[in-house]
Amino acid sequence: MRGRRLLYAMAIVSLLVASAFSFAAPLILKVTIDGVIGQRPIDAPRWVQGLFESISGSLMLPRYLWVFASLLLAAAVAEGTFTYLKGRWSAFAAEAIARHVRDHLYDKLQHLPCRYYDDAETGDLVQRCTSDVETVRMFLATQVVELARVAANLVVVVPIVLWLDWKMAIAATAVMPIIVIFAIVFFLKVKRSFKAADEAEGSLTSVIQENLTGIRVVRAFANQAFECGKFDVRNSDHRDKDRHLYTVFCWYWSISDALVFAQMGLALFAGAYWVANGRITIGTLVAFWMIMGILIWPVRQMGRILSLLGKALVSLQRVNEVLAATVESDPSEPHHDLPRRLDGGLVFEDVCFSHAKESPVVRGVSFAVAPGETLAILGPSGSGKSTIVNLLLRLYDYDAGHITVDGFQLSRLPRQYVRSQIGVVMQEPFLYSKTVRDNVKLGRHEARDEEMIHATQLAAVHESIEQFDSGYDTLVGERGVTLSGGQRQRIALARALLQQPPILILDDAFSAVDTHTEARITEALRQRAGRYTTLVIAHRLSTLRQADKVIVIEDGAITQSGTHDELIAADGLYRRLWRIQGGPDSGSGAGNKQGDGSQS
Amino acid sequence: MNAIAYHDDDPVARRFDWSLWRKVLAFGRPFKRWFALLCMVAIVLAGCEVALPLIIAAVIDEVTIDPANARLGPHMLVFAVVCGANLVCVWLFIYSAGQIATGVGYHIRDVSFRKLQELDFAYFDRRPVGWLMARLTSDCNGLARIMGWALLDAVWGTAMIIGIVIAMLILHWKLALAVLVIVPPLAFICRHYQFRLLISSRAVRKANSHVTAAFNESIMGVRTTKALVRERRNFEEFEQTSTRMYDDSILNSLYAAAFLPLTTTLCAAGVGIALWYGGVQVITGSMTLGTLVAFLSFAGHLANPIQEMARTITLIQGAQASAERIQGLIDTEPAIADSPDVAASTQPEPDAIGRIDFHEVTFGYNPDAPVLRDFTLTVEPGQTIAFVGPTGGGKSTVAALLCRFYEPTRGQVMLDGIDYRQRRIAWLQSKLGIVLQTPHLFSGSIRENIRYGRTDASDDEVAHASRVVNADAFISDLPDGYDTEVGEGGSQLSTGQKQLVALARAILADPQIFVMDEATSSVDTETEQLLQAGIERVLGSRTSFVIAHRLSTIRNADRIVVIDDGRIVEQGSHAELLKRDGRYAELYRQHFVEEHLLSGAG
Repeated sequence: MRGRRLLYAMAIVSLLVASAFSFAAPLILKVTIDGVIGQRPIDAPRWVQGLFESISGSLMLPRYLWVFASLLLAAAVAEGTFTYLKGRWSAFAAEAIARHVRDHLYDKLQHLPCRYYDDAETGDLVQRCTSDVETVRMFLATQVVELARVAANLVVVVPIVLWLDWKMAIAATAVMPIIVIFAIVFFLKVKRSFKAADEAEGSLTSVIQENLTGIRVVRAFANQAFECGKFDVRNSDHRDKDRHLYTVFCWYWSISDALVFAQMGLALFAGAYWVANGRITIGTLVAFWMIMGILIWPVRQMGRILSLLGKALVSLQRVNEVLAATVESDPSEPHHDLPRRLDGGLVFEDVCFSHAKESPVVRGVSFAVAPGETLAILGPSGSGKSTIVNLLLRLYDYDAGHITVDGFQLSRLPRQYVRSQIGVVMQEPFLYSKTVRDNVKLGRHEARDEEMIHATQLAAVHESIEQFDSGYDTLVGERGVTLSGGQRQRIALARALLQQPPILILDDAFSAVDTHTEARITEALRQRAGRYTTLVIAHRLSTLRQADKVIVIEDGAITQSGTHDELIAADGLYRRLWRIQGGPDSGSGAGNKQGDGSQS
Repeated sequence: MNAIAYHDDDPVARRFDWSLWRKVLAFGRPFKRWFALLCMVAIVLAGCEVALPLIIAAVIDEVTIDPANARLGPHMLVFAVVCGANLVCVWLFIYSAGQIATGVGYHIRDVSFRKLQELDFAYFDRRPVGWLMARLTSDCNGLARIMGWALLDAVWGTAMIIGIVIAMLILHWKLALAVLVIVPPLAFICRHYQFRLLISSRAVRKANSHVTAAFNESIMGVRTTKALVRERRNFEEFEQTSTRMYDDSILNSLYAAAFLPLTTTLCAAGVGIALWYGGVQVITGSMTLGTLVAFLSFAGHLANPIQEMARTITLIQGAQASAERIQGLIDTEPAIADSPDVAASTQPEPDAIGRIDFHEVTFGYNPDAPVLRDFTLTVEPGQTIAFVGPTGGGKSTVAALLCRFYEPTRGQVMLDGIDYRQRRIAWLQSKLGIVLQTPHLFSGSIRENIRYGRTDASDDEVAHASRVVNADAFISDLPDGYDTEVGEGGSQLSTGQKQLVALARAILADPQIFVMDEATSSVDTETEQLLQAGIERVLGSRTSFVIAHRLSTIRNADRIVVIDDGRIVEQGSHAELLKRDGRYAELYRQHFVEEHLLSGAG
């Protein structure tokens, strides 16, 4: 921050210097017109007079005109240089602040708890991180500088104009406050028109968007004409609101221009009158004329800038809200004696969890899995299976009970440590817009290509990947290849396998994989049984059968648990399903199928 | 969000495509009168700006040559007139530019939108919605702005430069030529920097879209990031992205920071020349002091019109890609349209569609990879046909071909023995009712959404349709009933509720042929059962095609067609197929278990 403050300070100083030089030109002109061309003694401070006398004697000589012309140019060069420096340094400062804020936001977003995201809207969050930051940056880079320029101009110009002639000073600035006030009032008033135009554009955009995303529905009902009518209403409204805005600006600019003309006229004719009177010199009039020209543009901008100030403050607040949110907590005293890799023994004891103020999602769940064992979880959707996974990953913190891994209390372990010990494949896996290779290697960055290919072969996705245009270097996502649900699931599986975690979680991970491929994967996994503790959430009995132990969850609680054999021996959901499905080797397919028909 | 990614990806054209711009200019034709007014006003306005230094010159001469007899009154009058003219002209100037910009924007958007309503689905398959959105929003706005403002600036700038040059030449041609020396370098700098700025600002925008995408990804994938403990690496990658944006922005800001000082310095050189050479003229008496001041003023303001001109040229240059894309959209001919013969035919279309034949139909979204191969199927009027099979096997494609959203690459779809390409598209589609798995709703009330099926239906008919599919139960539970707003894309309703509304919408349309593509996959079992009765009643006498997720929907079909890999693998009734114990039997068992579990298991 210190560096940026220094840059900002340097920018402001440059601005002051540039402003000072910009007022040099009118003064040089005054001296030239009065002293050289007009051939009269100049009313400048004694040392300036001395300087001139030492060059040319007491009289300003026409042949020295080039000196003044060069001075004029030199002042412009100096002004230009400092203006550039101001622009440069303020850009560096503002951009650095913006980058800092963006980085900070990104870091923050990654560390906010999942609960935060349950209530947040993606679009709104992204907007806070991008356009709100941009509004603040614009404010820092340009508007603050513009305000500073007005202040700098005032600081520099007031002594100059008072020294030149105070009556003329009043004549040359009398209308300016009116211009500023007019602009401020205007921009406050016009806010509503701006908003109306923005809203009209917004609703036009959403009509187009809905039409395009729903183009199939439009065609299905042959409603093109209706859609065109709906579109036309918004399109016309948008046009009319925009026209209204233009009309409003017609008044603003013409009146503001007229005020500027009034200011110039006042200065010109008052000045001319005083010149005729002999009260001021013609050089003074010309100098004032130019000074006015320098002052008037920033003054005209004031209204707009001040109205943007409010916008910037709102954006700043929106950004700060995100930055102020509480991040995931971790235990205060870090464990020192944690093994690099856990064995993966899991124990759940009376674990309860509920989302804020809602009825519990998980109630009193207890089970134990020994290292290397496979536990299958079966249950209807919404029964709490995925919540168990989220608790294990410490994405959420359980409300009551205990979870231990190899005897360590889960809630006392650092979150990142816990997650590094678990490989997880979700039903709808998220892939990053990177290459396939990068996506597979996400879990273990340093893995060699052979290891990666081994993992993709296990996940039965290697051949599909090879068929992409650039194989493993194909980009995933909108700008690259669009993957099917099954491909995504298999790539996510390869990603998890490459991690070689002690605990592997498959959360309905093959729902979009066809039966044949799933069998291949299950077989490959079975051969590697014992390497990881595995939690499988699945519907297909072929998968469930291979588990060491199965628990059945209904409505957040375990209703049945045991081995496959135990469960088919007992009455319950598991056996009913087994009957329906007519297991691959039950040999009673036909009878069961008949049974199905009659059952439903 | 995504729309951002589709702006200005194309490189900036260095060469003007005149024929393209001539086409774009044609959009301004209805505004000819406004253009004429704009030009006149621009010239008067430029005149006002040129007049101002001349008035100053006159006033200064008045008070310096003979101060004792100076009369300021007439000058004040002239000044007031110029001031008044300026006021009126500025008003008219902005007003006419606004009329043109908004009018042209409206017109271009209208033409583009209508074109999109005609284009075939293959066109949409190749272009993401975000891309199309960018055409209709930022491209249209950009072109409209050019038609209004760029033209205005061009006329004003030209008039202003000509005015200044003429005024200076008349006042003192030698001094004028001396001062005008700065014009070529000024023009060069303006042009050069504006072009640089255009390029660098694009880079910033592109970098910004990357930053936005990164934020979007970090939010969407937050759980995965946490599970994979990717926070640090992601952050490092983001730092690179944000640093790239920083670098691009800095470059852009530096160009901007250098541009203005350079032009003002050049102008100062002009002023210096005027002062030096002009000062001598004044001292020798061959020029008045007022004229000198006028020259100083002209030299100081030469930069403005030149800057505007350079900006305009660059703006047009930058918008050429927009113009190309829009013109490309407007020039696209829909690949599926009524043939000229059909369009010209005056023969009335038959009232009903009877038998439907797919005759050896081969089709692929990408011609190299057929999705359907030699698909042959005959459907008698009134039959209900269920399609089952794995995802991607071609079920939905059959439905899309039937609706003529696509046309077969080979083979024919025949309606009562006549190739449907010999019929009007509108006729066919008005006979069809299609319900899709992802039920797209439009923002508005539930009533409006159901009425979408038949826009002239009465409230009673709407209520009746929703009763048929048992949607009225949940609708009347809502606080505002049928007037409940569904939100954008129906976001206020659950998927199941949306599917019910979509069904009611289709039923209201009262089509002869029903096509349901997994239309009830997310409706809960209880509602499904209620719904089923209603649907059966509706389907009863109609020909219908059902791609079903639910077994109950399939089981009652007259014929079940198992499609895999673009071919019919099995067909027959539920009982026949179960007996065969083939693919259908396998699929059925699998479905059954999942359905059992999903619906809350016993």
